[in-house]
Amino acid sequence: MVEFRNVTKKYSNGTVALKNVSFKIEKGEFVFIIGPSGSGKSTLMKLIMKEEVPTEGDVFVNGYEVSAMDMYDVPYLRRSLGIVFQDFRLLPNKTVYENVAFAMQITEALPRDIRRQVPMALALVGLSKKANVYPAQLSGGEQQRVALARALVNNPSLLIADEPTGNLDPETSMEIMRLLCEINHRGTTVIVATHEKSIVDMLKKRVIALDKGVLARDQQKGIYTNEDKNSQIYS
Amino acid sequence: MKIRTAKYIVKEGILNVYKNKLMSLASIGIIIASLLLFGIFLLIVLNLDHNTRALESIPQLEVFCNYNLDETLVADVEKAIREDDRIAEYHMVTKKEAFEKLKEKFKGNEDILEGYDESFLPVSFIIKLKDPRDSSEIKEKFENMDKVESVEWPQKSIELITKASSWIKIISGILIAILLIISVFIISNTIKLTVFARRKEISIMKYIGATDWFIRWPFIVEGVIIGIIGAVVALILSSYAYRAVEVKLGNDIVSVSMGFFEMLKFKDVVLVLVLFYSFLGGVVGAIGSVVSLRKHLRV
Repeated sequence: MVEFRNVTKKYSNGTVALKNVSFKIEKGEFVFIIGPSGSGKSTLMKLIMKEEVPTEGDVFVNGYEVSAMDMYDVPYLRRSLGIVFQDFRLLPNKTVYENVAFAMQITEALPRDIRRQVPMALALVGLSKKANVYPAQLSGGEQQRVALARALVNNPSLLIADEPTGNLDPETSMEIMRLLCEINHRGTTVIVATHEKSIVDMLKKRVIALDKGVLARDQQKGIYTNEDKNSQIYS
Repeated sequence: MKIRTAKYIVKEGILNVYKNKLMSLASIGIIIASLLLFGIFLLIVLNLDHNTRALESIPQLEVFCNYNLDETLVADVEKAIREDDRIAEYHMVTKKEAFEKLKEKFKGNEDILEGYDESFLPVSFIIKLKDPRDSSEIKEKFENMDKVESVEWPQKSIELITKASSWIKIISGILIAILLIISVFIISNTIKLTVFARRKEISIMKYIGATDWFIRWPFIVEGVIIGIIGAVVALILSSYAYRAVEVKLGNDIVSVSMGFFEMLKFKDVVLVLVLFYSFLGGVVGAIGSVVSLRKHLRV
């Protein structure tokens, strides 16, 4: 599903964001990418959606060799992913319904399919009643749910979320995480980058911890703080 | 591209013109201004071109024989004219014809000519040249013939006018080229502002997997619509302005009596204007969109 092989990312200003990172995520997994700010979480997400290319190493996503991919094919990679951002990134001049439908329009989907899929996606995130409202009229949690519906409407096999709860209060954050778990239960692979300890600790999913660009820990049913007493990284 | 995508693109392009009213109006205004400036020069050049051709079609030279030549000697002059291949055609004005012309000129005062007949008038040849640039050479050649009294230009100023008009054409051509570049620059800059105002929207579209062309096309449609609206307004304005000038010049006694300045009818220039305006408006708008988008599509 997603594989990093000895990936190093060096930015042109000299910052080394990732150092020789390797891991593999299988279909149907739920994975947290954790670490403090500047640890390389965002870079890792950007490499998955090919917003950045690795300096060294290979990245494979959904069968694409992302690191060697032509720019022309990038839109098709992104359509096979559902992407959720910290700042929602909804189109302000489109209604909730139109925002979700737009993700299908760009794939040249049949209008019939759009009319069927969009209400389903909105029902899944519990926003059926707000279909004709503009994003500005929604709360942060609601906006993020719209973004989730948009990410899901094309039935992607992989959903990646970069700090999806970063702009939300704890209660709404839990709501979003519950939704992500439900999506995972339906068979979608979910990767969430976060630095929110409470969420990671509560869900006990696989945890990939990054520290200063190095893969510090890859643990099944992990929590945010490393239980290994020999390591003081997150104490 | 599927039809529903084309529909989406056209709808989106039209909506964008409407949603960004202020920006669209600004762009349309700039397009109108550049097209009008461009149109003025284009019309000047078209009219000059038309009139140079009119100039070329009027008799260029008139060769007057000595008035006392008999018919065989006149035939010699005629032969020299016929055999000169720089001359397209000629017409012999007999003594009788010349006298008729003279009588016409003195209409109402015919008594002045009383007692005269055509014998004191010379036979002349009105000759039309293939290339007006040969005129001085030909003039010299026939003036040196001893059977020829003189060679006259029907319009003394003809040489000057041809020279001046070719200069005006060159200068207008350069000005049109400069204006064209400036218009492209201004229009693409205006579109750059529209694109900049919507850079966030563009990046979101890229993130959810829209292809570059899917993003580009509505902007191109928008640019073309703005360009066409500008072209239509510019066309209406130029048509009024042109007619006004036409009426003014048409009533001008000097230009009419000089007989060599004839303005093209508006219906003769309208097609050229429509073609140039819609091409410049539409295509420049479209190219401007593509150029201005390039930077923002790299996400």
